[in-house]
Amino acid sequence: MTDSSPPRVDGYAPIRDYAAIGDGRTVALVSRDGSIDWLCLPNLDSPSVFGALLDARRGGRFVLAPDGPFRVERRYVPGTNVLETTFRTADGAARVTDALTLPGAGLPPLRELVRRVEGISGDVRMAWRFEPRFSYGRVAPRIGYRQRALIATSGGEALAVSSWDAGDPRIEGAAAAAEFTVSEGGSAMIVLATATQEPVVLPGRAAAERRLADTIEFWQGWTGKRRYEGAWSAAVLRSALVLKLLAYAPSGAIAAAATTSLPEHPGGERNWDYRFSWVRDAAFTLAALLSLDSDDEATTFLWWLLQASQRTHPRLDVLYRLDGGTGTRERELELEGYGGARPVRIGNGAASQLQLGIYGELLDAALLHVSAHGRLDRDSGRRIAEIATLVCSLWRQPDLGIWEVRSDPRHFTHSKMLCWVALDRALRLAQNAIPGTRAPLWRHTADQIRDFVEHRCWSEQKRSYVRAQGSDEVDASLLLSGVVGFSDPGGRRALGTIAAVRRELADGPLLHRYRGDDGLPGGEGAFLACSFWLVDALARAGRVDEAAQLMDELVSLGNDVGLYAEEIDPCSGAFLGNMPQGLTHLALVNAAVSISKAAA
Amino acid sequence: MNLLAALAGGFVGTLVISTLLQLATELRLTRVDIPFLLGTAFTEERDEAKAIGYAIYALAGVVFSVVYWTVFSALGQASWWLGLLFGLLHGLFLGAVVMNILLPAVHPRMGSSSSAANDGSLIEPPGFMMLNYGAQTPAVSLVAHAAYGAIVGWFIAAAG
Repeated sequence: MTDSSPPRVDGYAPIRDYAAIGDGRTVALVSRDGSIDWLCLPNLDSPSVFGALLDARRGGRFVLAPDGPFRVERRYVPGTNVLETTFRTADGAARVTDALTLPGAGLPPLRELVRRVEGISGDVRMAWRFEPRFSYGRVAPRIGYRQRALIATSGGEALAVSSWDAGDPRIEGAAAAAEFTVSEGGSAMIVLATATQEPVVLPGRAAAERRLADTIEFWQGWTGKRRYEGAWSAAVLRSALVLKLLAYAPSGAIAAAATTSLPEHPGGERNWDYRFSWVRDAAFTLAALLSLDSDDEATTFLWWLLQASQRTHPRLDVLYRLDGGTGTRERELELEGYGGARPVRIGNGAASQLQLGIYGELLDAALLHVSAHGRLDRDSGRRIAEIATLVCSLWRQPDLGIWEVRSDPRHFTHSKMLCWVALDRALRLAQNAIPGTRAPLWRHTADQIRDFVEHRCWSEQKRSYVRAQGSDEVDASLLLSGVVGFSDPGGRRALGTIAAVRRELADGPLLHRYRGDDGLPGGEGAFLACSFWLVDALARAGRVDEAAQLMDELVSLGNDVGLYAEEIDPCSGAFLGNMPQGLTHLALVNAAVSISKAAA
Repeated sequence: MNLLAALAGGFVGTLVISTLLQLATELRLTRVDIPFLLGTAFTEERDEAKAIGYAIYALAGVVFSVVYWTVFSALGQASWWLGLLFGLLHGLFLGAVVMNILLPAVHPRMGSSSSAANDGSLIEPPGFMMLNYGAQTPAVSLVAHAAYGAIVGWFIAAAG
């Protein structure tokens, strides 16, 4: 938990060094050295105002740290998404509490970032620097004074910084900075208030303090309602809090991650925008949320998904915008990229891909919902039945698979398995929740798909399912065959697949997704969600001790505050890819729950 | 001059001015939000403030049409272009005096030169011609008010 002030390389902090704070609308990433390097306003998928994460020189940041060498300890205030960073210097120690506050007492700004400094011991000389850059670093605003605040504006956006006992800020071009000393027992506060398309509200200190206290109370109350009694409870509850951070409150959508274009390979081009909601994650999400007694979030998410997919019904897009829209055009920004990894992309071209697996995910999510709540409204039931019928005509097509490869379409085994899942769930839902007039077709097609997978996607030589029809590679997504109920989790085929996946894709406790071609140059790290899927598969296969041991190893790989990115470098332990990554945390929760159930 | 026509023109003009101002904010030309500014004088609840603000704004739009009618009656003539001219004057007065001086003086939650450290949350004041809300705000406001005036003038002139 403690170490010296972490080094940056060419201005970039390790991805592992970031903690996330958020308010259900947007998320900020705070590095161990006190710099907020990522914040999009007003929403998670809006352009950044602090984007040093993707361009250390032009992106913009908001730094608050000791004015000299320091050591760092960090934690979240227990049960919250409020971050506490304790800086220790030769002269004393100071604690910075960072939060995106929730609207509450008083007239709140549209969005509010609170940075409170408290002196713990001695006298600590602190420095802060506010360096906003609107529109993904394109606009360096003029900063001026208004009333008691510094104001930066651009078009319809405004940022106002109010400070108390935090020095006399001076304007330095498109930035403002100040220094101050905080002594034991003393405190200072800096508040960033933001406005979009309205006059900015300049908060008072007392009201901001009250909102900070209320925000802590809200998060602790929310966490207190989560029910999880098994092992790794700290990691599971942190994951629940991460998922709540990624949930976009205005719609109920859950973003895949809080960032765009953090590279899956250092300096590489596998850089994608994950600030959208993927249908692929639907069943994982429902399972994780329901197992944590987060019924409200689970129901809201499914309701949002059914609303969003109405626009493309009966087909599904791979992903939707957080507001439920379908416009996700991919384009590149003129930014340096994290550690020089270009291009930096916004939007996501995978939206229009054909991915057959998402149909199974949606229907599995619907079944989980019905199992928990006993019913589905009539219109949703009708639409789900129509989607199942569509699967009967789609499943024979090659697709781009769960990993959204950019090579030619193939008959991916996981996709076919999930088509079977779609029809299996439809048949089960037809018992009480959806119209079953097409059930004979669904049953017949499900049998055809099973026959296809068992005969054309199985390798006797490897004793494993293979990545695609006719392939001799394996794929970590095949671990889900037992998890989704396509095969007996403890049966010969599931166990054989587990063995083959470990043999060919493992790197220590970690797994790669696959080794074969995906249409993109360069490699990538180990995919963390897959490693948790292995835990899940082992637990369901009855190999609980083995699963628990692997789980211990994986839980120890989180960063100092328990967050995970998408991938990890098996050699260096460096995080790769977007951060924090919802799928990784979903997989962690589901793996822990599977072990708990298996051990019970 | 027909008072009923003026009231109808005020109603339609208010719809148009509200739509134009909202359009301008959606286009990121300005951050002005008059219903928000008016409503927060009565409540700290954002949504409630906007609802109250829109009600006041709609009422003011109709009341101002009576003022226009009075001036047209005094002049003994009404036309859309005369209304447009009144609208421009109306917009200028609003930006230079009402929003710049009067509103900060009476609004309990708006920052002013007398705001001090013990104040609670304060709304950014509009400034001269509401320039604090963006450089294009004066132009947006003048165009919207000119449209309002032209509509009221046209309604009164058309009714004879």
